[in-house]
Amino acid sequence: MLRAGCQLLTQSTLPAVKTGSNGFALEFVRWRRKPRWLPVAKSKIFRVPERKKQTEEERTELMRLHNRYKTQLRSVRQYLREEVVRHEETSTVDHIVLTPEQEEAEYQALIAANAEWNATIAREREQRLAKERDEKVAYVHERLEARQLRDEERRERANEAVLREIERSKTYITREGLNAAIETALANPVDPNFAIDMAGNLYQGRTTSQLPDADPQPDQQALSN
Amino acid sequence: MSLSPASGIGRFYKHSAKIIRFVRLGCTNRPFYHIVVMERRKNQHQPVIEQVGSYDPLPNDFNERLVALNTERIRFWLGKGAHISDPAAELLGVAGLLPIHPRTYMTAWRNRRKLAEEQAEAAAAGQAESASASA
Repeated sequence: MLRAGCQLLTQSTLPAVKTGSNGFALEFVRWRRKPRWLPVAKSKIFRVPERKKQTEEERTELMRLHNRYKTQLRSVRQYLREEVVRHEETSTVDHIVLTPEQEEAEYQALIAANAEWNATIAREREQRLAKERDEKVAYVHERLEARQLRDEERRERANEAVLREIERSKTYITREGLNAAIETALANPVDPNFAIDMAGNLYQGRTTSQLPDADPQPDQQALSN
Repeated sequence: MSLSPASGIGRFYKHSAKIIRFVRLGCTNRPFYHIVVMERRKNQHQPVIEQVGSYDPLPNDFNERLVALNTERIRFWLGKGAHISDPAAELLGVAGLLPIHPRTYMTAWRNRRKLAEEQAEAAAAGQAESASASA
């Protein structure tokens, strides 16, 4: 295939091959045989290849060896042919010869082996399933206990919240005490505004100011804060 | 062509001529051979019927040339009447499965003769040197 590919490549550069020069830089080093359709090179036209010299002695010796070899090989081949025939006759590779009783016995033996195997696996499976069941039960118990604990905590928290609300409900403003509460609030106005001077003194209130007083009452609490 | 598996996917006719021969793998200046059974008329790089061995002709680090042969299958195919190529016959002869091939003997005596000639030449050159040194 590589040679074919090489030929395909060289066909496009056929003139280059004929003139012996390569038109472009691509040159195959590995398969640079001369194509079969080119004639014999001019320098080789009148070259007569020299025959390998073989002495008479060597030729007769080789003849003797070849005759002997052929005889021996023939007998070896004969032996191997007989061996193959013998093997084909005695071999039971491609056809199984068994009587029905033997087949039945083999079948029963296989069934028994299979049953034994099944029993072993069933035993292992039973053990495994029992273990898994125990683990599952333990897990469920654990989860149930955890849930009980959680519920109790939650109930306790709710109880605390309810008690806290009951405690606070003592100071609630009810519909009956509404007027009194309004009056109290009007009587005690609260002003969250305040001012701070450079010394850090705190002056509470804007409209409820104590400024006209010559002696303001600075709240030292701001400094402490 | 991609490498065909050694288990053999080559198709063959029942009564066609089979041959045990080498398939040259490897690359330039690094031969490696598979010993295969295939149809005699086919190109060596076609899919084979069966691979029965391998042969690495270049000596390795321990000066060994490694050959692997599946003798059982070779015996089978020879008994089936498969031909053997000359190089394969030489190799099987050296391996002891078949009689030694005559070409093996020929190569051996040619090598011996060449070695003897070289030694004689070396001896002659040594003698000439010693003679010139004494003179």
